[in-house]
Amino acid sequence: MTEISVKIRKLRKIYDGKVEALKGINLDIPKGSFFGLLGPNGAGKTTAIGIMTGLVNITSGSVEVMGHDVIKDYKKSRRLIGLSPQELNFDVFFPIKDVLALNAGYYGLSNKDAYERADIMLEKFGLTEKAKNTARELSGGMKRRVQIAKALVHDPEVLILDEPTAGVDIELRHMLWDYLKEINNNGKTIILTTHYIEEAEALCNEVAIINDGEIIKQDAPANLINMLGNNKIMVRINTKNKSPDLSPFDYKVEDNLVEFSTKDPSRDLPKIISKLNENSIDILEINTSKSSLEEVFVKLTNNKL
Amino acid sequence: MINPGFIVLIKREVMRFLALWKQTIMPGLISSALYIIVFGEALGHRIGPMEGISYISYIIPGLTMMSVINMAYQNSSSSIMQAKFLKFIEDILIAPLSGFEISMAFTIGGMFRGVINGILILLLSKLLVPEFTISNYGLTLIYLITVSWAFSALGVIIGIYARSWDQIGSFTTFVFMPLSMLGGVFWSVNMLPGIWKTISLFNPIYWMINGMRHATIGSVTEASINSSPTLSLILSFAFTIIFSFIASYMFEKGYKIKS
Repeated sequence: MTEISVKIRKLRKIYDGKVEALKGINLDIPKGSFFGLLGPNGAGKTTAIGIMTGLVNITSGSVEVMGHDVIKDYKKSRRLIGLSPQELNFDVFFPIKDVLALNAGYYGLSNKDAYERADIMLEKFGLTEKAKNTARELSGGMKRRVQIAKALVHDPEVLILDEPTAGVDIELRHMLWDYLKEINNNGKTIILTTHYIEEAEALCNEVAIINDGEIIKQDAPANLINMLGNNKIMVRINTKNKSPDLSPFDYKVEDNLVEFSTKDPSRDLPKIISKLNENSIDILEINTSKSSLEEVFVKLTNNKL
Repeated sequence: MINPGFIVLIKREVMRFLALWKQTIMPGLISSALYIIVFGEALGHRIGPMEGISYISYIIPGLTMMSVINMAYQNSSSSIMQAKFLKFIEDILIAPLSGFEISMAFTIGGMFRGVINGILILLLSKLLVPEFTISNYGLTLIYLITVSWAFSALGVIIGIYARSWDQIGSFTTFVFMPLSMLGGVFWSVNMLPGIWKTISLFNPIYWMINGMRHATIGSVTEASINSSPTLSLILSFAFTIIFSFIASYMFEKGYKIKS
Protein backbone atom coordinates (compact mmCIF):
# COMPACT_ATOMS: atom_id res chain seq x y z
CA MET A 1 0.00 0.00 0.00
CA THR A 2 1.27 3.45 -0.79
CA GLU A 3 2.17 5.64 2.12
CA ILE A 4 -0.11 8.64 2.62
CA SER A 5 1.43 12.02 3.29
CA VAL A 6 -1.75 14.03 3.79
CA LYS A 7 -4.93 12.31 4.95
CA ILE A 8 -8.11 14.37 5.04
CA ARG A 9 -11.28 12.95 6.58
CA LYS A 10 -14.79 14.43 6.57
CA LEU A 11 -13.30 17.89 6.58
CA ARG A 12 -15.82 20.67 6.93
CA LYS A 13 -15.36 24.38 7.16
CA ILE A 14 -18.16 26.84 7.73
CA TYR A 15 -17.21 30.51 7.76
CA ASP A 16 -19.09 32.70 10.24
CA GLY A 17 -21.74 30.02 10.64
CA LYS A 18 -22.96 30.72 7.11
CA VAL A 19 -20.77 29.88 4.17
CA GLU A 20 -19.92 26.20 3.88
CA ALA A 21 -16.56 26.28 2.12
CA LEU A 22 -15.77 22.58 2.56
CA LYS A 23 -18.57 20.03 2.73
CA GLY A 24 -16.91 17.09 4.43
CA ILE A 25 -14.15 16.19 2.00
CA ASN A 26 -12.02 13.04 2.09
CA LEU A 27 -8.68 13.05 0.39
CA ASP A 28 -5.54 10.93 0.44
CA ILE A 29 -2.42 12.48 -0.98
CA PRO A 30 0.20 9.77 -1.56
CA LYS A 31 3.71 10.30 -0.27
CA GLY A 32 6.07 11.43 -2.98
CA SER A 33 3.29 12.43 -5.34
CA PHE A 34 3.03 15.63 -7.32
CA PHE A 35 -0.56 16.37 -6.47
CA GLY A 36 -2.75 18.95 -8.14
CA LEU A 37 -5.68 20.49 -6.33
CA LEU A 38 -7.78 22.03 -9.05
CA GLY A 39 -10.96 23.96 -8.84
CA PRO A 40 -12.60 27.22 -9.82
CA ASN A 41 -12.31 30.31 -7.65
CA GLY A 42 -14.03 29.87 -4.33
CA ALA A 43 -14.11 26.08 -4.63
CA GLY A 44 -12.37 25.61 -1.29
CA LYS A 45 -8.74 25.02 -2.32
CA THR A 46 -7.21 27.76 -0.23
CA THR A 47 -9.45 26.85 2.71
CA ALA A 48 -8.21 23.26 2.57
CA ILE A 49 -4.61 24.46 2.44
CA GLY A 50 -5.28 26.90 5.27
CA ILE A 51 -6.51 24.08 7.47
CA MET A 52 -3.50 21.88 6.65
CA THR A 53 -1.14 24.67 7.65
CA GLY A 54 -3.00 26.15 10.61
CA LEU A 55 -4.14 29.41 9.05
CA VAL A 56 -7.80 28.45 9.10
CA ASN A 57 -9.64 26.99 12.09
CA ILE A 58 -11.30 23.64 11.44
CA THR A 59 -15.08 23.25 11.81
CA SER A 60 -15.12 19.45 11.93
CA GLY A 61 -13.24 16.47 10.55
CA SER A 62 -9.53 15.82 10.61
CA VAL A 63 -6.30 16.32 8.70
CA GLU A 64 -3.14 14.34 9.27
CA VAL A 65 0.28 15.08 7.81
CA MET A 66 2.48 11.97 7.79
CA GLY A 67 0.36 10.60 10.60
CA HIS A 68 0.40 13.75 12.72
CA ASP A 69 -2.93 15.45 13.41
CA VAL A 70 -2.76 19.12 12.44
CA ILE A 71 -4.56 20.18 15.62
CA LYS A 72 -3.42 17.80 18.36
CA ASP A 73 0.08 17.35 17.03
CA TYR A 74 0.47 20.64 15.18
CA LYS A 75 4.10 21.22 16.10
CA LYS A 76 5.10 17.99 14.39
CA SER A 77 2.77 18.36 11.41
CA ARG A 78 3.80 21.95 10.69
CA ARG A 79 7.49 21.10 10.76
CA LEU A 80 6.79 18.76 7.83
CA ILE A 81 5.00 21.37 5.73
CA GLY A 82 6.29 24.28 3.69
CA LEU A 83 3.75 26.73 2.29
CA SER A 84 4.12 29.22 -0.50
CA PRO A 85 0.93 31.31 -0.32
CA GLN A 86 -0.67 32.73 -3.40
CA GLU A 87 -0.28 36.29 -2.22
CA LEU A 88 3.31 37.42 -1.83
CA ASN A 89 4.10 38.11 1.81
CA PHE A 90 7.45 39.35 3.01
CA ASP A 91 9.06 40.50 6.18
CA VAL A 92 10.38 43.74 4.68
CA PHE A 93 12.51 44.77 7.64
CA PHE A 94 15.34 42.45 6.72
CA PRO A 95 17.41 41.49 3.66
CA ILE A 96 16.13 38.34 1.99
CA LYS A 97 18.97 36.22 3.32
CA ASP A 98 17.98 37.09 6.88
CA VAL A 99 14.31 36.59 6.06
CA LEU A 100 15.08 33.07 4.84
CA ALA A 101 17.24 32.33 7.88
CA LEU A 102 14.55 33.67 10.24
CA ASN A 103 11.94 31.49 8.57
CA ALA A 104 14.20 28.46 8.96
CA GLY A 105 14.73 29.47 12.59
CA TYR A 106 10.99 29.51 13.32
CA TYR A 107 11.06 25.81 12.43
CA GLY A 108 13.77 25.14 14.98
CA LEU A 109 16.94 25.20 12.88
CA SER A 110 20.02 26.48 14.68
CA ASN A 111 21.42 29.83 13.59
CA LYS A 112 24.27 28.15 11.71
CA ASP A 113 22.02 25.64 9.92
CA ALA A 114 19.48 28.34 9.14
CA TYR A 115 22.05 30.53 7.38
CA GLU A 116 23.48 27.52 5.55
CA ARG A 117 20.02 26.61 4.28
CA ALA A 118 19.39 30.26 3.35
CA ASP A 119 22.57 30.26 1.26
CA ILE A 120 21.58 27.04 -0.48
CA MET A 121 18.15 28.46 -1.31
CA LEU A 122 19.58 31.73 -2.60
CA GLU A 123 21.90 29.80 -4.88
CA LYS A 124 19.21 27.37 -6.09
CA PHE A 125 16.94 30.24 -7.02
CA GLY A 126 19.64 32.42 -8.51
CA LEU A 127 19.30 35.09 -5.84
CA THR A 128 22.77 35.06 -4.30
CA GLU A 129 23.58 38.49 -5.70
CA LYS A 130 20.44 39.90 -4.12
CA ALA A 131 21.09 38.40 -0.67
CA LYS A 132 21.48 41.82 0.95
CA ASN A 133 18.43 43.38 -0.65
CA THR A 134 15.04 43.49 0.99
CA ALA A 135 12.14 41.86 -0.85
CA ARG A 136 10.75 45.30 -1.73
CA GLU A 137 13.78 45.99 -3.89
CA LEU A 138 13.31 42.89 -6.05
CA SER A 139 11.45 42.40 -9.33
CA GLY A 140 8.16 40.49 -9.41
CA GLY A 141 9.76 37.28 -10.65
CA MET A 142 12.46 37.43 -8.02
CA LYS A 143 9.87 38.00 -5.31
CA ARG A 144 8.06 34.87 -6.43
CA ARG A 145 11.32 32.93 -6.21
CA VAL A 146 11.93 34.20 -2.67
CA GLN A 147 8.37 33.20 -1.81
CA ILE A 148 9.01 29.61 -2.86
CA ALA A 149 12.47 29.60 -1.27
CA LYS A 150 10.85 30.62 2.02
CA ALA A 151 8.58 27.57 1.86
CA LEU A 152 11.55 25.27 1.20
CA VAL A 153 14.14 26.72 3.53
CA HIS A 154 13.40 24.35 6.43
CA ASP A 155 13.52 21.38 4.05
CA PRO A 156 9.89 20.22 4.47
CA GLU A 157 8.60 16.81 3.43
CA VAL A 158 5.43 18.29 2.00
CA LEU A 159 5.56 21.41 -0.12
CA ILE A 160 2.31 23.27 -0.71
CA LEU A 161 2.26 25.77 -3.56
CA ASP A 162 -0.77 27.95 -3.93
CA GLU A 163 -0.69 29.37 -7.46
CA PRO A 164 3.11 29.43 -7.65
CA THR A 165 3.38 30.69 -11.19
CA ALA A 166 0.77 33.44 -11.11
CA GLY A 167 2.23 36.46 -12.87
CA VAL A 168 5.48 34.72 -13.73
CA ASP A 169 7.05 34.90 -17.18
CA ILE A 170 7.46 31.78 -19.32
CA GLU A 171 11.19 31.40 -18.77
CA LEU A 172 10.87 31.53 -15.00
CA ARG A 173 7.85 29.27 -15.09
CA HIS A 174 9.85 26.57 -16.84
CA MET A 175 12.77 27.07 -14.48
CA LEU A 176 10.40 26.62 -11.54
CA TRP A 177 8.82 23.56 -13.13
CA ASP A 178 12.21 21.94 -13.56
CA TYR A 179 13.16 22.69 -10.00
CA LEU A 180 9.86 21.42 -8.62
CA LYS A 181 10.24 18.19 -10.60
CA GLU A 182 13.72 17.80 -9.15
CA ILE A 183 12.42 18.24 -5.59
CA ASN A 184 9.63 15.78 -6.31
CA ASN A 185 12.11 13.25 -7.72
CA ASN A 186 14.03 13.54 -4.47
CA GLY A 187 10.99 12.13 -2.70
CA LYS A 188 9.18 15.26 -1.50
CA THR A 189 5.44 15.44 -1.81
CA ILE A 190 4.23 18.51 -3.66
CA ILE A 191 0.70 19.85 -3.51
CA LEU A 192 -0.08 22.37 -6.20
CA THR A 193 -3.06 24.59 -6.85
CA THR A 194 -3.09 26.37 -10.14
CA HIS A 195 -5.23 28.15 -12.63
CA TYR A 196 -3.08 26.92 -15.46
CA ILE A 197 -4.48 23.46 -16.02
CA GLU A 198 -1.67 22.78 -18.48
CA GLU A 199 0.67 23.28 -15.54
CA ALA A 200 -1.11 20.53 -13.60
CA GLU A 201 -1.07 18.36 -16.71
CA ALA A 202 2.66 18.88 -17.16
CA LEU A 203 3.64 18.36 -13.53
CA CYS A 204 1.10 16.36 -11.57
CA ASN A 205 0.87 12.60 -11.42
CA GLU A 206 -2.41 12.86 -9.58
CA VAL A 207 -5.09 15.51 -9.38
CA ALA A 208 -8.21 16.11 -7.36
CA ILE A 209 -10.89 18.33 -8.78
CA ILE A 210 -12.72 20.32 -6.16
CA ASN A 211 -15.88 22.25 -6.80
CA ASP A 212 -18.21 24.01 -4.43
CA GLY A 213 -16.57 22.49 -1.36
CA GLU A 214 -16.59 18.91 -2.63
CA ILE A 215 -14.02 16.65 -4.25
CA ILE A 216 -15.67 15.50 -7.46
CA LYS A 217 -12.86 13.42 -8.96
CA GLN A 218 -9.41 12.21 -8.02
CA ASP A 219 -7.14 10.36 -10.41
CA ALA A 220 -4.07 10.60 -12.62
CA PRO A 221 -4.54 13.30 -15.28
CA ALA A 222 -4.16 10.74 -18.08
CA ASN A 223 -6.89 8.54 -16.58
CA LEU A 224 -9.22 11.49 -16.19
CA ILE A 225 -8.71 12.45 -19.79
CA ASN A 226 -9.25 8.88 -20.95
CA MET A 227 -12.29 8.48 -18.76
CA LEU A 228 -13.97 11.79 -19.33
CA GLY A 229 -12.24 13.32 -22.24
CA ASN A 230 -13.48 13.12 -25.73
CA ASN A 231 -10.65 11.88 -27.92
CA LYS A 232 -11.18 11.68 -31.63
CA ILE A 233 -9.64 9.79 -34.51
CA MET A 234 -10.54 11.29 -37.84
CA VAL A 235 -10.01 9.23 -40.95
CA ARG A 236 -10.40 10.57 -44.45
CA ILE A 237 -11.40 7.76 -46.78
CA ASN A 238 -12.12 7.33 -50.45
CA THR A 239 -15.83 7.59 -50.97
CA LYS A 240 -16.49 4.44 -52.98
CA ASN A 241 -18.07 2.61 -50.09
CA LYS A 242 -20.88 4.90 -49.00
CA SER A 243 -22.08 3.28 -45.79
CA PRO A 244 -19.48 1.10 -44.15
CA ASP A 245 -20.41 -0.82 -41.01
CA LEU A 246 -17.71 0.01 -38.53
CA SER A 247 -19.32 -1.25 -35.32
CA PRO A 248 -18.54 -1.67 -32.46
CA PHE A 249 -16.83 1.73 -32.72
CA ASP A 250 -18.59 4.93 -31.90
CA TYR A 251 -18.37 6.88 -35.13
CA LYS A 252 -20.07 9.19 -37.52
CA VAL A 253 -19.60 9.71 -41.23
CA GLU A 254 -19.70 13.01 -42.99
CA ASP A 255 -18.84 13.05 -46.68
CA ASN A 256 -15.53 11.26 -46.87
CA LEU A 257 -14.61 11.88 -43.22
CA VAL A 258 -15.19 9.26 -40.51
CA GLU A 259 -14.91 10.55 -36.99
CA PHE A 260 -14.34 7.99 -34.23
CA SER A 261 -14.85 8.92 -30.59
CA THR A 262 -12.65 6.94 -28.24
CA LYS A 263 -11.46 6.95 -24.67
CA ASP A 264 -8.05 5.59 -25.52
CA PRO A 265 -6.88 6.54 -29.01
CA SER A 266 -3.53 4.73 -28.80
CA ARG A 267 -5.29 1.44 -28.05
CA ASP A 268 -8.09 1.87 -30.58
CA LEU A 269 -6.18 3.26 -33.55
CA PRO A 270 -4.70 -0.08 -34.76
CA LYS A 271 -8.10 -1.76 -34.37
CA ILE A 272 -9.77 0.97 -36.35
CA ILE A 273 -7.23 0.63 -39.13
CA SER A 274 -7.76 -3.12 -39.39
CA LYS A 275 -11.53 -2.64 -39.29
CA LEU A 276 -11.29 -0.24 -42.21
CA ASN A 277 -9.07 -2.71 -44.04
CA GLU A 278 -11.63 -5.47 -43.45
CA ASN A 279 -14.19 -3.27 -45.16
CA SER A 280 -11.69 -2.61 -47.93
CA ILE A 281 -11.81 1.09 -47.37
CA ASP A 282 -8.82 3.09 -48.57
CA ILE A 283 -7.38 5.40 -45.96
CA LEU A 284 -6.28 8.79 -47.30
CA GLU A 285 -5.36 10.56 -44.07
CA ILE A 286 -5.52 9.99 -40.31
CA ASN A 287 -5.71 12.69 -37.66
CA THR A 288 -6.15 12.38 -33.95
CA SER A 289 -7.24 14.98 -31.46
CA LYS A 290 -6.74 14.46 -27.77
CA SER A 291 -8.78 16.03 -25.05
CA SER A 292 -6.91 18.17 -22.54
CA LEU A 293 -7.25 18.14 -18.79
CA GLU A 294 -8.72 21.59 -19.18
CA GLU A 295 -11.68 20.24 -21.17
CA VAL A 296 -12.21 17.59 -18.52
CA PHE A 297 -12.05 20.23 -15.86
CA VAL A 298 -14.57 22.46 -17.56
CA LYS A 299 -16.85 19.49 -18.12
CA LEU A 300 -16.70 18.47 -14.48
CA THR A 301 -17.10 21.86 -12.89
CA ASN A 302 -19.31 23.53 -15.49
CA ASN A 303 -17.00 26.39 -15.03
CA LYS A 304 -14.69 28.43 -17.10
CA LEU A 305 -11.37 29.13 -15.46
CA MET B 1 12.42 22.61 26.82
CA ILE B 2 12.18 26.03 25.23
CA ASN B 3 11.17 25.94 21.57
CA PRO B 4 14.14 27.34 19.59
CA GLY B 5 11.69 28.93 17.13
CA PHE B 6 10.34 31.02 20.00
CA ILE B 7 13.82 32.40 20.70
CA VAL B 8 14.26 33.18 16.99
CA LEU B 9 11.00 35.16 16.97
CA ILE B 10 12.12 37.17 20.01
CA LYS B 11 15.42 37.80 18.25
CA ARG B 12 13.53 38.96 15.19
CA GLU B 13 11.49 41.40 17.27
CA VAL B 14 14.58 42.84 18.97
CA MET B 15 16.55 43.03 15.70
CA ARG B 16 13.67 44.91 14.13
CA PHE B 17 13.62 47.76 16.63
CA LEU B 18 17.41 47.92 16.91
CA ALA B 19 17.68 48.23 13.13
CA LEU B 20 15.18 51.09 13.30
CA TRP B 21 16.79 52.74 16.35
CA LYS B 22 16.31 56.23 14.96
CA GLN B 23 12.55 55.67 15.05
CA THR B 24 12.36 53.38 18.04
CA ILE B 25 14.93 54.63 20.55
CA MET B 26 15.65 58.27 19.75
CA PRO B 27 12.14 59.78 20.01
CA GLY B 28 11.71 58.66 23.63
CA LEU B 29 15.08 60.14 24.55
CA ILE B 30 14.45 63.42 22.77
CA SER B 31 10.99 63.98 24.22
CA SER B 32 12.18 63.11 27.72
CA ALA B 33 15.11 65.48 27.37
CA LEU B 34 12.74 68.23 26.22
CA TYR B 35 10.40 67.67 29.18
CA ILE B 36 13.35 67.78 31.57
CA ILE B 37 14.69 70.99 30.04
CA VAL B 38 11.37 72.79 29.64
CA PHE B 39 9.44 71.64 32.70
CA GLY B 40 12.34 70.88 34.97
CA GLU B 41 14.90 73.56 34.24
CA ALA B 42 12.77 76.41 32.93
CA LEU B 43 9.56 76.07 34.96
CA GLY B 44 10.77 73.91 37.81
CA HIS B 45 12.43 76.73 39.71
CA ARG B 46 9.14 78.58 39.87
CA ILE B 47 7.21 75.51 40.95
CA GLY B 48 9.53 74.69 43.81
CA PRO B 49 10.18 71.37 45.51
CA MET B 50 7.54 68.61 45.58
CA GLU B 51 7.26 66.55 48.73
CA GLY B 52 10.66 67.76 49.74
CA ILE B 53 12.43 66.96 46.51
CA SER B 54 13.44 69.27 43.65
CA TYR B 55 10.76 69.43 40.96
CA ILE B 56 13.13 68.32 38.24
CA SER B 57 14.08 65.12 40.09
CA TYR B 58 10.46 64.54 41.02
CA ILE B 59 9.26 64.34 37.40
CA ILE B 60 12.02 62.03 36.09
CA PRO B 61 10.46 58.72 37.26
CA GLY B 62 7.10 59.69 35.74
CA LEU B 63 8.68 60.78 32.47
CA THR B 64 10.53 57.49 32.34
CA MET B 65 7.38 55.47 32.93
CA MET B 66 5.44 57.49 30.35
CA SER B 67 8.06 56.77 27.72
CA VAL B 68 8.47 53.13 28.71
CA ILE B 69 4.71 52.55 28.46
CA ASN B 70 4.53 54.21 25.06
CA MET B 71 7.55 52.48 23.60
CA ALA B 72 6.62 49.01 24.80
CA TYR B 73 3.06 49.43 23.52
CA GLN B 74 4.14 50.85 20.18
CA ASN B 75 6.67 48.12 19.54
CA SER B 76 4.38 45.13 19.76
CA SER B 77 1.29 46.82 18.33
CA SER B 78 3.05 48.21 15.27
CA SER B 79 5.09 45.07 14.70
CA ILE B 80 1.93 42.96 14.63
CA MET B 81 0.10 45.54 12.54
CA GLN B 82 2.92 45.50 9.96
CA ALA B 83 2.97 41.72 9.93
CA LYS B 84 -0.80 41.66 9.40
CA PHE B 85 -0.71 44.38 6.80
CA LEU B 86 2.03 42.74 4.73
CA LYS B 87 0.63 39.30 5.53
CA PHE B 88 3.94 37.88 6.70
CA ILE B 89 2.20 37.07 9.96
CA GLU B 90 1.17 33.95 8.02
CA ASP B 91 4.81 32.82 7.99
CA ILE B 92 4.72 32.93 11.78
CA LEU B 93 1.26 31.39 12.14
CA ILE B 94 2.14 28.34 10.03
CA ALA B 95 5.40 27.73 11.93
CA PRO B 96 5.48 25.16 14.72
CA LEU B 97 4.89 27.79 17.40
CA SER B 98 2.04 27.84 19.90
CA GLY B 99 -0.21 30.86 20.30
CA PHE B 100 1.33 31.36 23.70
CA GLU B 101 4.85 31.34 22.25
CA ILE B 102 3.96 33.78 19.46
CA SER B 103 2.24 36.24 21.79
CA MET B 104 5.06 36.03 24.34
CA ALA B 105 7.72 36.56 21.67
CA PHE B 106 6.01 39.75 20.49
CA THR B 107 5.49 40.82 24.11
CA ILE B 108 9.09 40.16 25.13
CA GLY B 109 10.34 42.02 22.04
CA GLY B 110 8.36 45.10 23.12
CA MET B 111 9.45 44.59 26.71
CA PHE B 112 13.09 44.87 25.63
CA ARG B 113 12.38 48.11 23.81
CA GLY B 114 10.63 49.52 26.88
CA VAL B 115 13.44 48.51 29.23
CA ILE B 116 16.20 49.80 26.92
CA ASN B 117 14.33 53.09 26.55
CA GLY B 118 13.83 53.32 30.30
CA ILE B 119 17.48 52.68 31.09
CA LEU B 120 18.65 55.20 28.49
CA ILE B 121 16.24 57.85 29.80
CA LEU B 122 17.43 57.31 33.37
CA LEU B 123 21.05 57.61 32.19
CA LEU B 124 20.24 60.74 30.21
CA SER B 125 18.44 62.18 33.23
CA LYS B 126 21.49 61.56 35.38
CA LEU B 127 23.55 63.39 32.79
CA LEU B 128 21.18 66.38 32.64
CA VAL B 129 20.30 66.44 36.34
CA PRO B 130 23.36 65.36 38.39
CA GLU B 131 21.45 65.52 41.69
CA PHE B 132 19.08 62.74 40.47
CA THR B 133 20.03 59.42 42.01
CA ILE B 134 18.46 55.97 42.06
CA SER B 135 18.00 54.53 45.51
CA ASN B 136 17.11 50.96 44.58
CA TYR B 137 18.52 49.65 41.28
CA GLY B 138 16.95 46.21 41.62
CA LEU B 139 13.46 47.54 42.21
CA THR B 140 13.87 50.11 39.41
CA LEU B 141 14.71 47.30 36.99
CA ILE B 142 11.75 45.25 38.20
CA TYR B 143 9.42 48.19 37.46
CA LEU B 144 10.96 48.73 34.06
CA ILE B 145 10.50 45.07 33.20
CA THR B 146 6.97 44.55 34.57
CA VAL B 147 5.54 47.80 33.22
CA SER B 148 7.16 47.27 29.80
CA TRP B 149 5.91 43.71 29.76
CA ALA B 150 2.35 44.70 30.71
CA PHE B 151 2.02 47.40 28.07
CA SER B 152 3.81 45.41 25.41
CA ALA B 153 1.25 42.64 26.02
CA LEU B 154 -1.49 45.27 25.73
CA GLY B 155 0.14 46.30 22.45
CA VAL B 156 -0.18 42.71 21.25
CA ILE B 157 -3.89 42.75 22.13
CA ILE B 158 -4.51 46.05 20.34
CA GLY B 159 -2.25 45.02 17.44
CA ILE B 160 -4.40 41.96 16.84
CA TYR B 161 -7.62 43.84 17.34
CA ALA B 162 -6.85 46.97 15.29
CA ARG B 163 -7.91 47.24 11.67
CA SER B 164 -5.97 50.40 10.94
CA TRP B 165 -2.94 52.36 12.08
CA ASP B 166 -5.25 55.08 13.32
CA GLN B 167 -6.79 52.74 15.85
CA ILE B 168 -3.36 51.99 17.25
CA GLY B 169 -2.52 55.69 17.42
CA SER B 170 -5.80 56.69 19.00
CA PHE B 171 -5.20 54.32 21.88
CA THR B 172 -2.11 56.36 22.74
CA THR B 173 -4.00 59.63 22.52
CA PHE B 174 -7.18 58.58 24.27
CA VAL B 175 -5.83 56.22 26.89
CA PHE B 176 -2.12 56.50 27.66
CA MET B 177 -1.72 60.24 27.41
CA PRO B 178 -4.58 61.13 29.77
CA LEU B 179 -3.83 58.32 32.19
CA SER B 180 -0.15 59.25 32.32
CA MET B 181 -0.79 62.97 32.63
CA LEU B 182 -3.43 62.42 35.31
CA GLY B 183 -1.30 59.75 36.93
CA GLY B 184 0.94 62.35 38.49
CA VAL B 185 3.86 62.59 36.12
CA PHE B 186 4.13 66.32 36.73
CA TRP B 187 2.61 66.74 40.16
CA SER B 188 1.78 64.89 43.31
CA VAL B 189 -1.73 63.51 43.41
CA ASN B 190 -1.88 64.90 46.93
CA MET B 191 -2.22 68.31 45.35
CA LEU B 192 -5.58 67.36 43.79
CA PRO B 193 -8.86 68.20 45.53
CA GLY B 194 -10.66 65.34 47.36
CA ILE B 195 -12.75 63.59 44.71
CA TRP B 196 -10.04 63.77 42.03
CA LYS B 197 -7.57 62.29 44.41
CA THR B 198 -9.90 59.32 44.93
CA ILE B 199 -10.47 58.94 41.19
CA SER B 200 -6.72 58.92 40.62
CA LEU B 201 -6.43 55.87 42.81
CA PHE B 202 -8.25 53.88 40.13
CA ASN B 203 -5.68 54.80 37.52
CA PRO B 204 -3.19 51.93 37.18
CA ILE B 205 -0.58 54.20 35.63
CA TYR B 206 -0.70 56.33 38.78
CA TRP B 207 0.42 53.30 40.78
CA MET B 208 3.13 52.43 38.30
CA ILE B 209 4.55 55.95 38.35
CA ASN B 210 4.37 55.96 42.12
CA GLY B 211 6.17 52.65 42.31
CA MET B 212 8.90 53.92 40.02
CA ARG B 213 9.21 57.08 42.12
CA HIS B 214 9.59 54.91 45.19
CA ALA B 215 12.27 52.79 43.51
CA THR B 216 14.24 55.77 42.25
CA ILE B 217 13.92 58.77 44.50
CA GLY B 218 13.03 56.56 47.43
CA SER B 219 11.67 57.51 50.81
CA VAL B 220 9.90 60.71 49.78
CA THR B 221 6.78 59.19 48.28
CA GLU B 222 6.52 56.61 51.01
CA ALA B 223 5.43 59.44 53.27
CA SER B 224 2.55 60.20 50.95
CA ILE B 225 -0.71 58.66 52.11
CA ASN B 226 -1.82 57.52 48.66
CA SER B 227 1.21 55.53 47.79
CA SER B 228 1.74 52.03 48.91
CA PRO B 229 4.91 50.59 47.34
CA THR B 230 3.57 47.10 47.86
CA LEU B 231 0.33 47.86 46.05
CA SER B 232 2.30 49.44 43.19
CA LEU B 233 4.35 46.32 42.81
CA ILE B 234 1.33 44.02 43.02
CA LEU B 235 -0.55 46.04 40.39
CA SER B 236 2.41 46.07 38.01
CA PHE B 237 2.66 42.31 38.22
CA ALA B 238 -1.10 41.88 38.02
CA PHE B 239 -1.37 43.85 34.76
CA THR B 240 1.59 41.96 33.37
CA ILE B 241 -0.15 38.67 34.00
CA ILE B 242 -3.64 39.76 32.91
CA PHE B 243 -2.55 41.33 29.61
CA SER B 244 -0.19 38.44 28.85
CA PHE B 245 -3.00 36.00 29.46
CA ILE B 246 -5.43 37.85 27.16
CA ALA B 247 -2.78 38.26 24.43
CA SER B 248 -1.89 34.59 24.37
CA TYR B 249 -5.54 33.57 24.51
CA MET B 250 -6.16 35.69 21.38
CA PHE B 251 -3.27 34.05 19.54
CA GLU B 252 -4.28 30.57 20.69
CA LYS B 253 -7.79 31.07 19.36
CA GLY B 254 -6.64 32.94 16.29
CA TYR B 255 -9.01 35.78 17.16
CA LYS B 256 -9.14 38.14 14.13
CA ILE B 257 -6.03 36.53 12.65
CA LYS B 258 -7.35 33.14 11.62
CA SER B 259 -10.59 32.62 9.76
